[in-house]
Amino acid sequence: MKTYFRNFIQFLGGTTLLSIEVFKELWTWPFPTKLTIEQIYQVGLKSLPIAFITAASTGMVMALQFGLGLEKFGGKLYVPKIVSLSIIREMGPVFTCLMLAARVGAGITSEIGSMTVTQQIDALRALGTSPIKKVVIPRVVACLFSIPLLVAIANAIGVAGGMLVGSSDLGLDPQFYMQKIFETITLTDYFSGFAKAPFFAIVISLVACYYGLNVEEGTRGVGSATTKSVVTSSIFILVGDYFLTKAFWVVEQWL
Amino acid sequence: MALIDVKSFKKSFRGKTVHKDISFSVNKGECLGLVGGSGVGKSVVLRSLIGLEKADGGQIMIDGEDITKFSESQLTHVRIKVAYVFQNGALFDSLTIFENLAFPLREHTDLNENQIQEKISEQLEEFGLSGNENLYPNQLSGGMQKRVGLARSIIIGPKAILYDEPTAGLDPYNTLKIQEMILRMKKKGVTSILVTHDMPTAFAVCDRFCLIEDGRIKAQGTRDELENQKEGYLKKFIDGERGK
Repeated sequence: MKTYFRNFIQFLGGTTLLSIEVFKELWTWPFPTKLTIEQIYQVGLKSLPIAFITAASTGMVMALQFGLGLEKFGGKLYVPKIVSLSIIREMGPVFTCLMLAARVGAGITSEIGSMTVTQQIDALRALGTSPIKKVVIPRVVACLFSIPLLVAIANAIGVAGGMLVGSSDLGLDPQFYMQKIFETITLTDYFSGFAKAPFFAIVISLVACYYGLNVEEGTRGVGSATTKSVVTSSIFILVGDYFLTKAFWVVEQWL
Repeated sequence: MALIDVKSFKKSFRGKTVHKDISFSVNKGECLGLVGGSGVGKSVVLRSLIGLEKADGGQIMIDGEDITKFSESQLTHVRIKVAYVFQNGALFDSLTIFENLAFPLREHTDLNENQIQEKISEQLEEFGLSGNENLYPNQLSGGMQKRVGLARSIIIGPKAILYDEPTAGLDPYNTLKIQEMILRMKKKGVTSILVTHDMPTAFAVCDRFCLIEDGRIKAQGTRDELENQKEGYLKKFIDGERGK
């Protein structure tokens, strides 16, 4: 128990220091543009299929479950409202980011971890360059740029998936389905879901970089750091989602 | 005049003291051999000289500056002056040999791409690596990787070079090649520190030696001075190495 607590404090301290270093070096010239574009390709473009499949299946399953469940009470017509609202406010951002924590987070940790154990990170420092600038910042910025875009795409795909099942399996008219979506979803709904994406992007990238840079015990350590990175990011996304939802809800009351 | 001057250096890891009191100096143009058994912390001393490890106590003077309190950004100019050659080369495995060599030039010089190309061709020729520009590190042998690592470390013309076991695991041909390169750098007046277990190489290239044992410098001096010491520390160490 004591070790877990110590590790947790170490993790919090380490990620805080890493965040401060990233923030400080982000504004120093030159910005690693080429490396960032490469990472946007790795994080964003290569994650499109997984975001697409996750969102489509979530929307389809939700429409089917709600449709079959609500049909018994004559509430099938509420499916477009319920499904689109759930996807836009919660399921789209959270499920997409959980999948990205696994794909992107694991990739970042294992890549940086391998660089750490093969002394490539030390070599960067020995050559008078900053690993934060060359390794961490491109990944953090790429995640910050790509993940919200992926969430936006996933939201659209999820809603479309729901509509596909609504019209094919539940017999709802696609035009009626669309009309209900536009009647239900407000900009506030959209942004209260979408605005979580940058927070989750920071969590995924910083946690992954932190574990990668702090790998110990050689190649075995890379495996265990990768597991820790995915588990920690996922927990932070799920727990953080509650607090973000609550915070956005308070903001919505003000507006 | 000493380019590198270490005074009462102390270092611990997780409560375990590795170095209690390490003091030595290296004059400009000199080559110092840092020898000692496995696990005595020779590489820790070497890494601390460019701030890859933080000292717990004492002073590390590089060209008249105490670097022990330097931040990472302040250490940049020290790391340009003092190059570090890693035991395994530590090449960037996602970059080609050309890109590996171009890395420090692009970071720390104003050379244009044509000048970089020219400089790298010269360097590769000097190190017997011509024709390998477009290969990736994993396509080279261990000996060639070490030579590329050495070439990358010195490409921007450092004042001093720190060699961490440069000949470990190499065949006699590659060992000889590395020895020749160290001697060539020495002839150019570059100061160097060599951490090694390979005593024939150490005797071939080093002017003086420091023997580390139990967190302290047990003996230091030229080969003759150490061999004539009545305590016979160097002889004991060499016999111990042979016995392994």
